Amino acid sequence: MTTSRVRRSLAMAATTAATGLLAACSSPASASAPGTAADAAAAGAPVTGGELTYLEHQPYTTLYAPQAGFYPNGALVNNLTARLTWQDPASLEIEPWIATDWTVNADATEYTFNLRDGVTFSDGTPLDAAAVAKNFDTYGLGAKDRGLTVSEAVNNYASSQVVDADTVTFRFSAPAPGFLQATSTINSGLVSPATLDRKLEDFGAGNAKEIIGSGPFVVASEELNQSIRLEARPDYDWAPPSFAHQGRAYLDAINIVVTPEDSVRIGSLLSGQADAARQVQAYDERQVTDAGYTVIGAPTRGVNNSLNLRSANPLLADLRVRQAITHAVNAQEVVDTLFTANYPVGTSPLASTAKGYVDESAKLAFDPTRSAQLLDEAGWTPGADGIRVKDGQRLSLTIYVAPAQPRAKETIELVSQQLAKVGVEGVVKVVDNATFNADAKDAIKAPIIQSMVGRADNDVIKSQFHTKNRNQLAGSDPALDALLEAVASTPDQAGRDAASAAVQDYLVDNAYVVPLFEEPQVYGVAPNVHGFATESVARPAFYDVWKSA
Amino acid sequence: MRLSPSFAPFLARRALQAIFVLVAAFALAFVLLQALPGDAILIRFESPELGLSAEQIADLRRAYGADAPPLEQFLRTLGGFLHGDLGTSVQYGTPVAELIAKALPGTALLAVLGFAVAVVLAAAVATAATLSPFAWLGDAIRSLPSLLVAVPVFWLGIVLTQVFSFQLHLVPTIGATGPQSLILPVLTVAVPISAPIAQVLVRAIDEATLSPFVSVARARGASRARVFVREVARNAAVPALTISGILIGELIGGAVVTETVFGRTGLGRLSEQAVTNQDGPVLQAIVVLSALVFVTVGLVVDLLAPLVDPRLGRKAVSA
Repeated sequence: MTTSRVRRSLAMAATTAATGLLAACSSPASASAPGTAADAAAAGAPVTGGELTYLEHQPYTTLYAPQAGFYPNGALVNNLTARLTWQDPASLEIEPWIATDWTVNADATEYTFNLRDGVTFSDGTPLDAAAVAKNFDTYGLGAKDRGLTVSEAVNNYASSQVVDADTVTFRFSAPAPGFLQATSTINSGLVSPATLDRKLEDFGAGNAKEIIGSGPFVVASEELNQSIRLEARPDYDWAPPSFAHQGRAYLDAINIVVTPEDSVRIGSLLSGQADAARQVQAYDERQVTDAGYTVIGAPTRGVNNSLNLRSANPLLADLRVRQAITHAVNAQEVVDTLFTANYPVGTSPLASTAKGYVDESAKLAFDPTRSAQLLDEAGWTPGADGIRVKDGQRLSLTIYVAPAQPRAKETIELVSQQLAKVGVEGVVKVVDNATFNADAKDAIKAPIIQSMVGRADNDVIKSQFHTKNRNQLAGSDPALDALLEAVASTPDQAGRDAASAAVQDYLVDNAYVVPLFEEPQVYGVAPNVHGFATESVARPAFYDVWKSA
Repeated sequence: MRLSPSFAPFLARRALQAIFVLVAAFALAFVLLQALPGDAILIRFESPELGLSAEQIADLRRAYGADAPPLEQFLRTLGGFLHGDLGTSVQYGTPVAELIAKALPGTALLAVLGFAVAVVLAAAVATAATLSPFAWLGDAIRSLPSLLVAVPVFWLGIVLTQVFSFQLHLVPTIGATGPQSLILPVLTVAVPISAPIAQVLVRAIDEATLSPFVSVARARGASRARVFVREVARNAAVPALTISGILIGELIGGAVVTETVFGRTGLGRLSEQAVTNQDGPVLQAIVVLSALVFVTVGLVVDLLAPLVDPRLGRKAVSA
């Protein structure tokens, strides 16, 4: 599809007759960036000025960039900081931002960046090579004594070297092919050297005004747990060169207001008290579009929202049982019943918009007859109540409702009904966050866990499944770990994609992962708001946003 | 009230009781938080969004002192409380004292106004029920508290917002300031609280109306209204005052829901988030603060009751 030019077409939409291109963007899969770009073309030239009220459902917790994965944090860090590079959310290409150009050695253990001149932090201090070096020393090595954690995106970091005022070199103890993309993520947001001297506590909520960034907006004020106000930096003049829009942001200010209750958030948006909102639930989407508002489902481009089947649990040790479950789950029905077109059915452990994706749908087909056959072959025979039994043991699996997943309870209930049709019992279990986090590590307590993770780099699959990272299969499979390590350490892109494909094949062939859907972040935007866009993992970018009367 | 010589020991005894309650609340909260599976550090740093290794999490646990034996943690936390150091929120990394200082005024205002409105509502309902010229109307009004007490705060808040803010556009929900931002939340808190006060008031009025002193007053020729104000209402006020003290707990619970629905900063929101994320230090402080409020209100009620009904003063002091 033509999404490769989406990001740029958004920027150009106001001034060029890009209608033909934009028409191609109306399909859900490309909704990431523009959505409202067609409006922008219709509404004329962007207007500078005005304020945007943006509704979040949770308050932010910290502005320490490596911990900005939490969406409320990410929405801030993405707009308060510039990064070395910019990842085009459509093509996923890495483009210059603060770095004008860079070189990488053959085995991806040494990166040298040349920096743009005249960039400053919002307190006026220069954003030079020394400042960049200090940022990555912190993000790559952490600072244990101050609670500052290492960024998940930066692997094998060894050291930095300031070559001259606008040149910096980073060295790695092992190949780090994901580093270039890592420099574009919000987890690598550039903040002033003085800010990096703070403790983790001093990055916490309540300190936002003191966090000095390099992006198009600065924090003007905050009311703890309730609202935060961002104002445009008048002297911001270092947008990624590929943007048509340069100079300061169009908006004067953004008021981010926390509205935890869904109905209040949607009601406020639709009654004109707010201009945009994150987390429009699937069941509210219709209401929002009926009111003439735009619903934007931005893909998160990582590991799909999936059920992870843990072979370390004796009930799931047999490949045939896991395959039976794979073919018994009807992801299409889950999406049709509970979600919308913004949640495409998963066709692989990775989203189709993720780096290194290969289509595995042929091996994942919904086929309950085959499930029944597989279970028969494995020696599980239907008991009196329809649930299969073997050696006196029932094929009964506890499935925890994952607190972070959208409509998780309904999803798990529906999946349980689907499993019951082939004689597998799914026991739906609802627990609090803490119990979930503790029990989810245990394959015996939690034979099946629902989870996802977003990041627009091949490394994402390693983050999710490697035993030393999130270890979502809660097992120890040295073969899988080796395949995952190849993804993270193969220096060239083609090699990484091949390694990524091998992992997807392995996960599906072993029936470890049952993909459900490609998870989006869903935003509701008022008709007079234009240029609303997201970065590559769906965090809002307010730089291009403007409001027509 | 005149201070009798026996009043000082009474006050001292109540103060000792109060301190005991506070320490017990502190200790119980600590034990319960320890007994929970997982903790805030687990929740915050094991959140898959960070992707930290087990080793990095262990380092953080050491840095936060979460790996110390429970007794040592208990003594350290207690010592901190005695010195006014409430610790640091694990979820936010912000000092707990600062979080509470920011949240307290909003909740206090909401609670005080909510309570005042509730009392006015309750008194209005009780008076109307008693003085109603028609029996059927009195009965109808009498059944009102039973209805109101059954209204969930959550539902009420959403309905008020939908009707008055989203449909009628009378008050904004987003970006409301000053009195505008208080109208709907205060009503939401007040209505369910007013119901039990009204119920108690109605019953106490009924009882007082049947008392001999009322018959005497009426026989002396006092008007119905004068009897109601001078004799009946005053006698009925004591049970209502007592139930009001107990309702402080409801008020705190109501604040949790109301602040969440309206997105207001306050102790209720803070508690809700702290519970979800098992933010121990914040919960510990909120429990102690709630206990302090309870104890204080209880004490005030006990001291006020004799002012309303002098018979109680003699009993309390001589007891």
